[in-house]
Amino acid sequence: MTEISYQDLPWPVRDDVAAAQVRTWERLGQPGTWLTGAERLAVAAEARNAQDCKLCAARKEALSPEAVQGEHDHLGQLSPLEVEQIHRIRTDPGRLSRSWFQGLVDQGMVEERYVETVGVIANMVAIDTFTKGLGLDPWPLPAPQPGEPTRLRPVAASRELAWVHTLPPAGAIGTVDEDLYAGRPTAAHIYQAMSLVPASVKGFFDLVVAQYLPPQAMRDFDNEYRAINHAQIELVAGRISALNQCVY
Amino acid sequence: MTGDDAGNDGGVPNGAMLTRFANAVLGDDPGELSAARTAIAETMGGAALTDTAGVAALFNAIDRVADSTGIPLEDEKAAATDSWRGAIGIDDFAAAAEKGSGA
Repeated sequence: MTEISYQDLPWPVRDDVAAAQVRTWERLGQPGTWLTGAERLAVAAEARNAQDCKLCAARKEALSPEAVQGEHDHLGQLSPLEVEQIHRIRTDPGRLSRSWFQGLVDQGMVEERYVETVGVIANMVAIDTFTKGLGLDPWPLPAPQPGEPTRLRPVAASRELAWVHTLPPAGAIGTVDEDLYAGRPTAAHIYQAMSLVPASVKGFFDLVVAQYLPPQAMRDFDNEYRAINHAQIELVAGRISALNQCVY
Repeated sequence: MTGDDAGNDGGVPNGAMLTRFANAVLGDDPGELSAARTAIAETMGGAALTDTAGVAALFNAIDRVADSTGIPLEDEKAAATDSWRGAIGIDDFAAAAEKGSGA
């Protein structure tokens, strides 16, 4: 069992941050909605491996990523489609396009697995970038847990908002997924992004609340909740997003 | 925020220091990242450093959620930022036509 702990650091990491990361690590090896625990860990390992991929490095330097063809340096645990998804999202997210996504679907990518994979990558990036920032090695991956994915798809999912199907907040009301939006009829698009797999949303936003801010604190400019203030938080967030060329 | 403006604090206290850390944590120079980390810890304190690392790491992740699912900017956010997104270069990003204010 991997134990995430920052007790030995010379700087204090808030208990809620460490606790959220521990929960994320526990979930990582467990069966998900569309991926087994072993598959989720394969995605996590491939997301790390992508950073040393020579094809990804060449594409990153190219005017267009599609201009450079070749084979990814991969760990051999996942299909070529899944490797392409993971490597592109990990190494060059700002130049992903609808046509790239549709190309994966046309070649047989299962959209629900795609979305759950996005969630695993996001969790890995959030924790690995945190440890890198503090000068630590990445945490060893947890052991896979047995069991089968639930394969529960929200009945009201539709492809209206994004490239992927999402569950509209109003459509969730009265369904088993109503708790995802706590009965609210609207939600930020980023919260809806992975809603085809509600467990991925809940898992990732466990980290969001701890490493960024809880929803009620985001626009509460009369109070500060962290050791850096709202303006400093948004400066860091904005700079990271600019470096990633993220339009959202 | 979008440009190569090292040393500019953006009008935010210790902004240049925070921007330096953001640049370094996405970069590949361990020495620069160590220096950026030390600067924040010594000037703003250890808790500020770990909270900064948390925010930087989280947004490095959330950008990927947004970019890989193709969610558009909300209409109200697009309207509220329309007057300055072009001026600071956001509309020049590769995905701006698909997901940004022009989506």
